[in-house]
Amino acid sequence: MRRFREQRIVLSLIVKKPLSFASLIIVLTFIIIGVSSPLIVPYPEDAWGLTYNVEKRFLPPDIEHPFGTDALGRDVFSRVLLGSSFSLIIAIGVIGLALIIGIPVGVLAGYYGGRTGTVLMRITDMFLAFPPLLLAIVLAATLGRGLLNLIIALAISWWPWYARLVYVQTNTVKNMPYVDAAKIAGLSNLKIVSKHIIPNALTPTFVQAALDMGSAILEAAGLSFIGVGVKPPTPEWGLLVSEGWQSINYAWWIAFFPGLAILITVVGFNLLADAIRESADPRIRRTILRKVINF
Amino acid sequence: MPINREYLVKRLLLLIFVVIGVLFMTFIITRVIPARPELLWAGPHATIEQIKKAREQLNLDKPPHIQFILYLQDFFLGNWGVSWRTRSPILTDVLSSLTATLELIIVAFAIAFILGVPFGVVAAVKKYTWIDDLARIITVIGASIPVFWLALIAQLVFGTWLGILPSAKRVDEWVVIVTGFKQITGFYLIDSLIQGNFMVFIDSLKHIILPAVVLASYPFCLSARMTRAVMMEVLTEPHVRSLVAWGLPQRTIFFKYSLRNTLAPVIASIGLSFGYTIVGAFMVELVFVWPGIGFYAAMSLLSFDYPAVIGCVVIVAIFYCIINTVVDVIHSVIDPRVKL
Repeated sequence: MRRFREQRIVLSLIVKKPLSFASLIIVLTFIIIGVSSPLIVPYPEDAWGLTYNVEKRFLPPDIEHPFGTDALGRDVFSRVLLGSSFSLIIAIGVIGLALIIGIPVGVLAGYYGGRTGTVLMRITDMFLAFPPLLLAIVLAATLGRGLLNLIIALAISWWPWYARLVYVQTNTVKNMPYVDAAKIAGLSNLKIVSKHIIPNALTPTFVQAALDMGSAILEAAGLSFIGVGVKPPTPEWGLLVSEGWQSINYAWWIAFFPGLAILITVVGFNLLADAIRESADPRIRRTILRKVINF
Repeated sequence: MPINREYLVKRLLLLIFVVIGVLFMTFIITRVIPARPELLWAGPHATIEQIKKAREQLNLDKPPHIQFILYLQDFFLGNWGVSWRTRSPILTDVLSSLTATLELIIVAFAIAFILGVPFGVVAAVKKYTWIDDLARIITVIGASIPVFWLALIAQLVFGTWLGILPSAKRVDEWVVIVTGFKQITGFYLIDSLIQGNFMVFIDSLKHIILPAVVLASYPFCLSARMTRAVMMEVLTEPHVRSLVAWGLPQRTIFFKYSLRNTLAPVIASIGLSFGYTIVGAFMVELVFVWPGIGFYAAMSLLSFDYPAVIGCVVIVAIFYCIINTVVDVIHSVIDPRVKL
């Protein structure tokens, strides 16, 4: 009951601040377009990169092609629109896979502690010794180009952060009186972990994970740009920018619009992350409440 | 300020372990994960002979633990293989391009720090006003912008359209030839000053502005946001309140007494963003044809020159570990409470 009220306060605070509200709209729009874009793109064949129209090369933006056309005469608007689907898939795939690896490691290390915990966390630390994107680059270069490989490479460089977060949370939760009570009541370790530790330790992790989707999109685009991401002609935003690079001096729109799409989407996620972090922090929440509600 | 010697020794020992850990990870990724590593190492157009040779060089016929020891040996002896794109030893290539990247990153971090900290202070002082909101929008955009795209746009606008700044390479060839400029340290800005060669100095300064500013976008936002967050905490502390009660001018309170307490965590976080920035340099250098390690790595990636890529990755990862150690030690000097 209390937790429900808290969530409502956080939500109402977000809706009341214009900047936070805008970010919520951006994120929702991105998700809606991402889900529906294969059905709504104006030129589906252009979007999937199957066509080649010599007479329509490098058309500047107009009503028929709002973002212009590219070097092969394909509609940039359609490709950017379909790109949102790929970004959504990548973001969900990377974060999901990272959680699937990170949560068990964090919970095991945190709950059992001792030697198991130390070994697991040392392995985690080894992954964190690499600059995050660099590990993804070397993995992607090893696995080869492709959507699935890109997701795997990013997820492997990503899970240690969640393992750490879950580890810290589990450590806090396992010392709570109700866990002691459950132990005294004779519950098995499995029951304690699944009924008490996981529900209480994972909420912050899931919030963090949802908001990391912006960064996942950004990094995937970066990998595609330097040639270790998805294969052409996949309309992934980073790859679209790199395709427009060669002709940027006389057809700026090919590289400009996909980059703008990345920027807006990631800004949406990051602003929302900011808003949630601020309104979930009780000290700051009090100040904001006073400001928003004027008491 | 005294350095805690015990801490320093512990941190250096840890560094050795971390470096070996990094080498172990690269060994696993490059030799164990691929089904046939020799195909990757020999390159896409290799003949059967070359593949056989690669297999021998990688010691793939020996058991894994021997392979790892030989790998470490090769690494420390500098046998990193030969890049088939440039046809020269990878270690030489990597080391010769390191200074260009360092120069770029140092300038970028200087820009980020000098602009970011005052920005954060102003946002913290004017918290919850439109100034703070504006600062937040700017910093969020800066942290969310795809750096390769920003580089392209900056190059297009300032280089091609307005034509006010050069947008490729470190320096114009003809200036070097005309003035007889020689490399000493590899840092062009320093070299030209040592030689009193102001033409090259101005020219390389012009060349570094665009890539450095683009690369600074992320650390700038990070330092601004970090400064704001820490500053807001510091401003609520009792000693600041007593300063206000004593009637000290606001500027003195903010910039003299509060900022000092703010700087330690800010420096630490900027230092940690080094890893992100150096990978950002891969893309920025590629766009601006900046002959550093990022350009070398990105070109190797684009031409599937696998050994060269791995060489860059290893050197950057080790560099990252060293920087982290240095940052931690600096942090412990500024803030003696820091412990391992």
